[in-house]
Amino acid sequence: MKLDEDRLALALALGLLVFALSLFTLAGVDLLGWGVATQVWLSPTKAIAPVSKAWAALPGVTSLVFTYLFLLVVMTVGAAMLGADVPRFAAGFTAIFWLSYACWLAGNWAYIAATPDKRAGFGIGWSLALTGEAGFIIALAVGLLIGNLLPGVATALREATRPEWYVKTAIVILGGALGVQAAGARGLATAVMFRGLAAIIEAYLIYWALVYLVARRLFHFSREWAAPLASGISICGVSAAIATGAAIRARPIVPIMVSSLVVLFAVVELVLLPFAAQTFLAHQPLVAGAWMGLAVKTDGAAVASGAITEALIRAKAAASGVAWQEGWMLMTTTTVKVFIDMFIGIWAFVLALVWAYGIRKDEGRTVTAGEIWEHFPKFVLGYFLTFAVFLALVVARPGLLDAAKTATAETNVFRVLFFVMTFFTIGLVSNFRRLAEEGIGRLALVYVVCLFGFIIWIGLAVSWIFFHGMTPPPVG
Amino acid sequence: MTDDLRDELQRRVDEPFLPAERKLVTWSLVLGVVLLGLLVWISDAFFAP
Repeated sequence: MKLDEDRLALALALGLLVFALSLFTLAGVDLLGWGVATQVWLSPTKAIAPVSKAWAALPGVTSLVFTYLFLLVVMTVGAAMLGADVPRFAAGFTAIFWLSYACWLAGNWAYIAATPDKRAGFGIGWSLALTGEAGFIIALAVGLLIGNLLPGVATALREATRPEWYVKTAIVILGGALGVQAAGARGLATAVMFRGLAAIIEAYLIYWALVYLVARRLFHFSREWAAPLASGISICGVSAAIATGAAIRARPIVPIMVSSLVVLFAVVELVLLPFAAQTFLAHQPLVAGAWMGLAVKTDGAAVASGAITEALIRAKAAASGVAWQEGWMLMTTTTVKVFIDMFIGIWAFVLALVWAYGIRKDEGRTVTAGEIWEHFPKFVLGYFLTFAVFLALVVARPGLLDAAKTATAETNVFRVLFFVMTFFTIGLVSNFRRLAEEGIGRLALVYVVCLFGFIIWIGLAVSWIFFHGMTPPPVG
Repeated sequence: MTDDLRDELQRRVDEPFLPAERKLVTWSLVLGVVLLGLLVWISDAFFAP
């Protein structure tokens, strides 16, 4: 538990570091422009280049090596602060970085990524039109292959296999980019924020109660298993299962078992739901974004689903001549997800009260408001801080808009890399064989019944109620 | 994973459904339904896109 909190705090610090460095761009000093940007490519030599024109003279490969070295140093220092085995972390991180980047590069191959309107530019007659975000799916697939078929390799990489750390860092960085975007459409951004909060309150109250009821009354699980299961399955994933386990004083093995189940099912959702959203919700983009936040568990898988959904739906819209601004669907997913994360602390507090006074009937037990803070994920503050600072900067001084866009484009380089490493490491930790060996079939059955029985559909209904008819602003 | 835990996961437990659990589930669902109307109204009245 202590380690998780440290990890979250570290994600906050790391995200802010990149954010702060990018602020130098606003003052005219381009400190992060050497970061590597990856383009859709036919010729590998044209695939990579520095993100900033100010660094255009730098060869793409050098830019990539600089990016790797920067992240290696920052992340290894972070790992040392977490008490990790530093040499093993550095070696594992190196492998994870390069394998993840290779997947990202492969996903940007024109035959995979190019949307129909771009095919002529590449001189190709067909493509899968999956956009560059196909690299996320490739990273997940390669991670799954290694995790399931090469367990020795997965074990060797374990010290650096930290998907939650990577995605929380990415979310903090994302806040700044979304803040700049929100400045251009403050009414829409405010609506997304409030409606996202409303959607999670609704979904949380309904999901949790129903899953708990199913686990207790239909499957006859004990309270110790049912509560973490309800929190993990309903909407929050790993951190909620752990926080709930602590709140009701469950044995440590309980949230760990639930968490392994949550991660595996999140992979299944991550592969299926974005394509379902593209097929059925292409005309309701923000409903699709909110649905990913409400239906897909774990921060990594949810935000990643939002990114893929956005890419798929924008590609489909572009094919029919509609060009929506990038980022709004992802912003909706992220907003929903971070509000859920905020709610975990409150819900864990409620459960601690109910268990202390209504179930165990502890004498002399006091539950303090400090327990909310204890379970509160600290990286959420980083997300709101970077969002608010960039929003306030651009609103107060509109002349800074272009510089702010440059700054956030540079931090986006790192956000994308953290996302790719999140996908890859989610694959690494998703061992389907181990799930079968552990004999948690009944837990999985509760998951399947709840997920396909009502979570996906209630999530869709709540997303529809609060976000239907809302579309991102058009490009230009 | 121990055999004990594997057995525990396979076993159906007949732990009584206490009044506190019933209240928690009922209040959660009732609050969800009541708040739905309120939040939709606030969204449309004050946070229209």
